[in-house]
Amino acid sequence: MHQVEMMVNGQVRRAEVPAETTLLSVLRETWGLTGSKLGCDVGDCGACTVLVDGLSVNACLLLAVQVDGQEVLTIEGMGGFDYLHPIQAAFERLSSIQCGFCAPGIVISAKALIDKNPHPTEQEIREALAGNLCRCTGYTKIIEGIAEACRAPAITDGISVTESGHV
Amino acid sequence: MRSFEYLAPSSLNELLEVMGDRAPNFKLLAGGTDLLVDLKHGPSGPKLVMDLGAVPELKGIEETPLGLRIGAMVTHSQIQQSALIAEHAPAMMAAAATIGAVQTRNMGTIGGNLVTCVPSLDSGPVLVALDAQVTVAGVHGRRVLAITEFFVGPRQTALAPDELLVDILIPTAMLGRATAFRKFGLRKGQALALVNAAASIAVDNDRIVEARIALGAVAPTVIRATDGERVITGRSTDDVGALREAAAVAVTETRPIDDFRASAAYRRELVAVGTYRVLEEALALATRS
Ligand SMILES: Cc1cc2nc3c(=O)[nH]c(=O)nc-3n(C[C@H](O)[C@H](O)[C@H](O)COP(=O)(O)OP(=O)(O)OC[C@H]3O[C@@H](n4cnc5c(N)ncnc54)[C@H](O)[C@@H]3O)c2cc1C
Ligand code: FES
Ligand code: FES
Repeated sequence: MHQVEMMVNGQVRRAEVPAETTLLSVLRETWGLTGSKLGCDVGDCGACTVLVDGLSVNACLLLAVQVDGQEVLTIEGMGGFDYLHPIQAAFERLSSIQCGFCAPGIVISAKALIDKNPHPTEQEIREALAGNLCRCTGYTKIIEGIAEACRAPAITDGISVTESGHV
Repeated sequence: MRSFEYLAPSSLNELLEVMGDRAPNFKLLAGGTDLLVDLKHGPSGPKLVMDLGAVPELKGIEETPLGLRIGAMVTHSQIQQSALIAEHAPAMMAAAATIGAVQTRNMGTIGGNLVTCVPSLDSGPVLVALDAQVTVAGVHGRRVLAITEFFVGPRQTALAPDELLVDILIPTAMLGRATAFRKFGLRKGQALALVNAAASIAVDNDRIVEARIALGAVAPTVIRATDGERVITGRSTDDVGALREAAAVAVTETRPIDDFRASAAYRRELVAVGTYRVLEEALALATRS
């Protein structure tokens, strides 16, 4: 068994896990953070996308022990019912989500993009989402949603925001 | 996943010692984008997984007296963002940009890509076109190999069971060499190459004095199309027909397969088109500078 400790959505989390435990499974099964989804389990679909030290990664392809001591952001850290992140708000306004299975990963990939490039072109948005598959909405509304989020004052003014203050 | 023991050595010496003791009963873990899939779905599991993430000697990109050194643990994203790569070997950025998606490139390393050694590996052709060398190390010492010697066959490299890949070197003579890369897949994003191609060209006095053509996914490993190279060596930089001739000859040097992604005939067509385009682009770069 291995002790792991990481900062998840601004909060220190600890767990004791066998080496073969993925980051995704410790997030979902040990800590109950079920926003990140298990889709393909092999790195293709992006439903498990989280940020580790600011970089978007597939939580299904990382061992929890590899992330020991690092900072993780999941969809639960992006905003909730009382405050939506501009990406989430735009997705709601534009109906960018149908079943929603892909949405946590897509919102995280979009955040990773906007953090580096607050004014992406449509092509840049498409490239940023190449590793996130959506099987129902289709990509048009999702891409429009991200483009709209980039026009929100919180993004254009470069203010980092959530109610919990760590995004 | 089956259970295994996990170690994360913090120096190359410590790692090599454990490798010497435990070979071949371990697996090395770099970015995990190939290994984790194998650990989940492969036929058998290793007893020990050793994480390379804490070994400083495997990281970083730097200029050395011998050339540009790229640590095995450098990720595809780091290659895309490196000012040194942009200056000396920008075709490596073009190749890195085609690997998987953002998430894959943030995790996946150039070392893992080369060691997995599938025929379609996208970092292979540019390294062959740039005459790269690799350093491998084991408890008994280090060896330097040409990248073409390192690739042995599908999923097979020249590494002994107790050796690892330390770094990749682009020799000084090849830094800044005009080089181009193309990849053809079924889609633009996140697709394995049906064919990938790279070419490098040096020009002197309006003649092509050195050319290298590297082709992937059309033979058991990345190959150099040396007959195609000979066709254009010595030809005038204005001789557009020479590039077409070289591309047609390069096709004869490949042995593509039929599979569910594409027919061998289609792959041969892609080799002709791809070789022509990388030669054309490399020549344009060479004559501009
Ligand atoms: C969704 C997806 C898309 C992909 N798309 C592409 C693509 O377009 N093009 C492409 O070429 N590849 C692609 N890949 C394959 C893979 O991402 C790359 O090959 C990647 O570079 C592997 O690196 P890694 O660090 O993740 O390797 P790992 O998975 O950590 O390791 C791979 C193998 O190499 C060994 N190894 C790693 N480093 C060393 C070392 N320094 N010395 C000795 N052995 C070592 C490991 O033991 C293991 O056997 C894709 C993978 C996924 C999941
Ligand atoms: S579940 Fe991780 S990429 Fe599909
Ligand atoms: S909304 Fe259903 S998969 Fe995207």
